[in-house]
Parts: sequence; structure tokens; C-alpha cells
Amino acid sequence: MEGSRYLTPRGPTALPGHPDSATNLADILERVLDKGIVIAGDIQINLLDIELLTIKLRLLIASVDRAREMGINWWESDTSLQAGGPADMEMLDTEREQLERENRELKQRLERIERQLGVGEASS
Amino acid sequence: MTDLADWARGRAPELLERAEREAVAILRDALLDAALGDRARDREAGRRRARQAPPAAAATPSKREAQGHALWAYCVLRAGDPLPGRLPGVHPDAPVEPLEDDGLVVLTSRIPLAEFGEEPLRENLNDLSWLERVARAHESVLEGALTGGPIVPLRLCTIFTDEAGVRTMLARDGRQLREALERLDGRREWGVKLLVDRDALAAAARERSPEVAALQDEAAERSGGGAYMHERRLERLVGEVVDRLAAELADDVHARLGDWAADSVLNPPQNRELSGHEGEMLLNGAYLVEIERTDGLRRLLHELEDRHKELGARLQLTGPWPPYNFVSREAGAPA
Repeated sequence: MEGSRYLTPRGPTALPGHPDSATNLADILERVLDKGIVIAGDIQINLLDIELLTIKLRLLIASVDRAREMGINWWESDTSLQAGGPADMEMLDTEREQLERENRELKQRLERIERQLGVGEASS
Repeated sequence: MTDLADWARGRAPELLERAEREAVAILRDALLDAALGDRARDREAGRRRARQAPPAAAATPSKREAQGHALWAYCVLRAGDPLPGRLPGVHPDAPVEPLEDDGLVVLTSRIPLAEFGEEPLRENLNDLSWLERVARAHESVLEGALTGGPIVPLRLCTIFTDEAGVRTMLARDGRQLREALERLDGRREWGVKLLVDRDALAAAARERSPEVAALQDEAAERSGGGAYMHERRLERLVGEVVDRLAAELADDVHARLGDWAADSVLNPPQNRELSGHEGEMLLNGAYLVEIERTDGLRRLLHELEDRHKELGARLQLTGPWPPYNFVSREAGAPA
């Protein structure tokens, strides 16, 4: 029964050499955030924010799948990306900076709009 | 001349592929930054917000929530089933306590509103290290409760003002909770992931596909631009065969496990940055299995792994889990 190194029980008995000797975070998050029965509690947390977070994590969790759907195997070709030369890397850096800036600006805009709408106060 | 045109045509997919690859790398980095690396920035934003005192919207719930306590609910059990021993809750100051009413038990613990009130909660949930701590604490309470009878796991952040709030919920949703408990009795959720090594799949594709073999033979005879284009065609064909093999493999594993299980759910493959897995994840399934069939499940996994050995298939079993994946379809009263 314990012959295969891949049938890994969770917890302290997990075999060494596996990244998830404790339960891996992806396993837990995909369950506690997305699954489990939803019953109405007294404190209504802002569902919009939870959804934003869940979507963010879902993208993270599913990005490999998505890339494959697009027919892209970047997980195979990370090294070839790095071999793209300094010019390419510079391009990546500026693009990333731009994305970060846009992300920040969008967050700020969202906060302003939420404040104006009074989201999070009696919003039902 | 034709060689040149061939060469140009051959280059086009490569350039396109490279552009796509770069676009995905940028997107991935941005997403990772947003979810994993932004913690410091989020905290900074939080401080800024705190400094800009909120507009005097006097009697908002957040004002009331600033102090005091509430109850965090973990899961629902049947009254009379063995209760777990003393477990730590999501906040270190308060252990988990059972709250019984009308034949049901809810595991709860006290939480300070300064951290878990609506406003702070919203911010904390976007801090991955806070989220990880709370998610793990929530999970370990549920795991502690698993040793008794069936449990209905509640989603993270099910919060009640006080005990009366929990009792109101039990009166409202009790029937549905009892039905779920009955259905889950004697069953456990297991997670199964199918991982493959893309190189092993490519090798199998080269061996098994007659089209690939034919192209390979032809390629050996070509030279110059024609040979280049030929190689590109071969690569694409191998890619297609690999995808087909992967899909067939995942289908076979899921179908066999699905037959064995009382119920099954397919989830999207996980991202390596969070899960740390090696190889490519082709399947991420959850299976609800009768407790007495657990050994059979393990045997089936070994058998499947063995059957698909030459494709480099590895099956990873996790669990038993609280049956998260088998209660979400009966979502309770709308929020």
C-alpha cells in the first residue's frame, strides 16, 4: 500500500521530497474560499471584495490551465524566456511596472467609488 | 525561392508563439504580484485609509464593530456524535466551543471585531499571510471534528453577532443542514491530482503516433529551409498528440475514480506557485468515498498509476478532507 512515492498521505507522515509535507496552501484555499456551505451570518462581509479575492486566487490557481487552453506551454520554456537577452527582459520590466501602476490606480479608483456609493455600509 | 517563402512561413508561428509566451509571462507576473507580492502595499494603503479618517457616516455598522466580539462558525455536526477535544480557534485568545440547539451542534469561537469586523476583515482577507493563517486554523478545526460523525463545513467567514444569531440560523437552515449531514454520513472527501511529465508524454507521442513517425522519417531526408519548416510541423503535430494523450489520460482516471466514488467534483488544476507541484497537473478532482471503500480507493489509484506508467502519470492522494466539495451545491439562504 505504501509502495508508491506518489500516493502521499497528508500531515506529518507525508514522504520527504514532496513540497507539501504540510497541506499545501492551494488545497486549503480552493476549499475554504470557494467551497463549503454558504449560510447567512450576521456580519455581511463585503461580498464584492471576497469575490475579487476569490477571482484573483482562481486566476492564480487556474493559470496553468488557461495557458494550456491558449496553446502555450510557458512552464516548459521559462529558460528560453530568460535566454531572450537583456533587451527582452527590459521590455518585460517596463511592462510589469506599467501593469503595477495601472493596478494601483484601479484599486484607488475602486476605493473612491466604493466610498461614494457607501458600499460596506447598509448596502442591502 | 520556394525555400525562402517556406522559411518565412516557418518563422511566423515561432514569432507568434514567442509573443504569446511573453504576454503570458507578463500576465502571470502581474497576477502573482497582485495576489502574493502586494502585501506590503496593501498594508500601506490600509494605513493611508486609516489616516484619512472615514467620512462621518455616524451610525455605520463599522462604528459599532470597532469593539466587542462576535462568533466565528466552523461547521455543523449532529448532537450526540462525539465532539472533538479542545481545539484552538482562528483567534489565539479563544478556543473552539460547541453550541447545541435542536439536535445540531455548531462549532464556534469568539473573535474580536477589531480584527474580524466588516471593515478590518475586508482588508485582512486581501493579505495573503493573514488569510493563510486563518484558513489553516479554520481547516484544522474541521479536521479535528472529522474524527466523529459527519460534518457540514461552513465557508470561511461565517460570522454571527452572538449565540442568538447562531440559534436563529439553526432554526432557519436546520432542515437543509440535517439533510446534508445524512447524505455525508459514513463518507469522506478525498483529493486526487494527476501529474504528468510533459517530456514523457512527448516521448510516448513519438512512439505511438504513426503520423508523427512518418513525419519524422521524412524529416531525416530534408535539408535547408524545407527541413526547418518540416521540423516545425513535426513539433506542432507532437504537441497535438501530447494534448490528446493528456486529455485521454485525465478522462480515464476521472471516469474510473468517479465510478468508485459516491460523488465527484472536478476543480481547475492548481498553480505551481501556490501548490509547489512538479510536472503538469492534468486533473484536480475531489471524490466522496464511503469510509469502508478507502482501501479500495488506494488500490485503484495504484492500479491506475501502474497502467499509465509509461506516460509518466503520478497520482497524488490527499485527505480525508472535510467534505467541502460536496455541500456547496446546496447553498443556504441568500446573503
